Amino acid sequence: MTAVTIAPTAPAGRLIDRFEEGLDAPICLTWELTYACNLACVHCLSSSGRRDPDELTTAECKAVIDELERMQVFYVNIGGGEPTVRKDFWELVDYATAHKVGVKFSTNGSRIDAERAAWLAASDYVDVQISLDGATAEVNDRVRGDGSYDTAITAMERLRVAGMRDFKLSVVVTRENAGQLDDFKAIADRYGAQLRITRLRPSGRGADVWDELHPTAAQQRDLYDWLLARGDDVLTGDSFFHLSAYGEPLPGLNLCGAGRVVCLIDPVGDVYACPFAIHDSFLAGNVRSPGGFAGVWRESELFAELRGPQSGGACSKCSHFDSCRGGCMAAKFFTGLPLDGPDPECVLGHGEAALEGRDPAAIPRSEVDHSRRQPSRPTGTALPMAPVAPPARSCDESPLAGFTPGD
Amino acid sequence: MDEIDLATAWRLNPQVSLRPESFGALAYHFGTRRLSFLKSPALLAVVERLADHPDAAAACRAAGVGEDELALYRRALATLAGSGMIVPREGTAA
Amino acid sequence: MSSPNTEPTAPPAGDQPAADALVEQELLVEDVSIDGMCGVY
Repeated sequence: MTAVTIAPTAPAGRLIDRFEEGLDAPICLTWELTYACNLACVHCLSSSGRRDPDELTTAECKAVIDELERMQVFYVNIGGGEPTVRKDFWELVDYATAHKVGVKFSTNGSRIDAERAAWLAASDYVDVQISLDGATAEVNDRVRGDGSYDTAITAMERLRVAGMRDFKLSVVVTRENAGQLDDFKAIADRYGAQLRITRLRPSGRGADVWDELHPTAAQQRDLYDWLLARGDDVLTGDSFFHLSAYGEPLPGLNLCGAGRVVCLIDPVGDVYACPFAIHDSFLAGNVRSPGGFAGVWRESELFAELRGPQSGGACSKCSHFDSCRGGCMAAKFFTGLPLDGPDPECVLGHGEAALEGRDPAAIPRSEVDHSRRQPSRPTGTALPMAPVAPPARSCDESPLAGFTPGD
Repeated sequence: MDEIDLATAWRLNPQVSLRPESFGALAYHFGTRRLSFLKSPALLAVVERLADHPDAAAACRAAGVGEDELALYRRALATLAGSGMIVPREGTAA
Repeated sequence: MSSPNTEPTAPPAGDQPAADALVEQELLVEDVSIDGMCGVY
């Protein structure tokens, strides 16, 4: 990260500093197309389930893609909810790639039939990311619901048969699956996919299950060692840069890209610093405003703040600060920790100490909640949402208990 | 690839999106999905001139690269060629 | 699959400012995975 050139024409300073100051356009971004979802994963970072009636229209989505093309955003990671439940989903994918915006979309696999798999295998510039959170149905379905493991594996088999290589198998690491990393790699290898493992954040419904599902300190250490040994073979979305404090940095930029090189566009056009920070405090603007997405990216006060010098607070005196950069903003925010203090999973244990000192009543909750357990309410009300009751998680209970799977 | 022949003709791969930045440029290859950071504005200037000059050395000179820096830029161009960001122009020896 | 110019090993914590001042490597091109930035799904 500190490669320095002696060429007189080269700028001084590290690349990482340039990125922390922000760029004129994102490198890539997450675009949640819909809050509708046929599943109800217990840790859903976007608290998805019900479609928001104010979703961007097809025309509005195309206007966003036109902007991304003008800004030379290289690709979008389309998710949701389950993006494929939008009737215009495939049309929008085509529109993006025709307008020089690469697409990777995240899906639970429920709409990848044989024909669609063949279409994907033949499509240039479209990548697929299948979500799976257990290497066995037993572990996976506890989090993602009965049958979701089979759905994902079936989709992967269809993609394999159709000749699609190097699609992504994406796993959120939890206390329950942290011992299955080799098994996940084997599954990815079996289907010709690339394994991607990412960090569980206490975001969305994740806040309700974070205490019991986030990896233990010992599991974190093992995870770091495992990732380091795998190098570029396993992707991480740079989501474990807080673990770089253990020693050698993991591959990736090793910095928080939120509002600097990446951001989120949500289904109603709201722009947030990142998909793990869907909360008023991280809302930068809306694409429907006169300046569009470009106006929000370039002029929002929130992003200007994030691109300014950040106070590391007590962390900046730690000898590891340069490696961990103080960790993840969203992880701190949604566990009620101050942003200028340690990450809740600080590898030195400073986060655990901080968690003990916090006021549980002051833990922020997002008002943006499309979960199906939610009592229905009129759109646009500013009333705070009733907290979603965490599912009573005995081994047998399906997170889908109590309602009919949709669509 | 550690070296390229500066006496040959090159161009930006048509599958690459080159985006100028204050520090130089970002280059994204849509086929391989690789992302490269060009860490000097002069290197961006060289890459932008490759297609219009008979060889890479001429492109470097046109971008203001001094003789004493050529080795550095040869290495940079080699990296870009190795990842397919730049390709030999048709009708010329690779 | 690895770029020939992957990130150099980070120097031990605390040495970073000194490392900046040194000419460690003369690299004008750095490769990072498109999946290598935090804040994307």
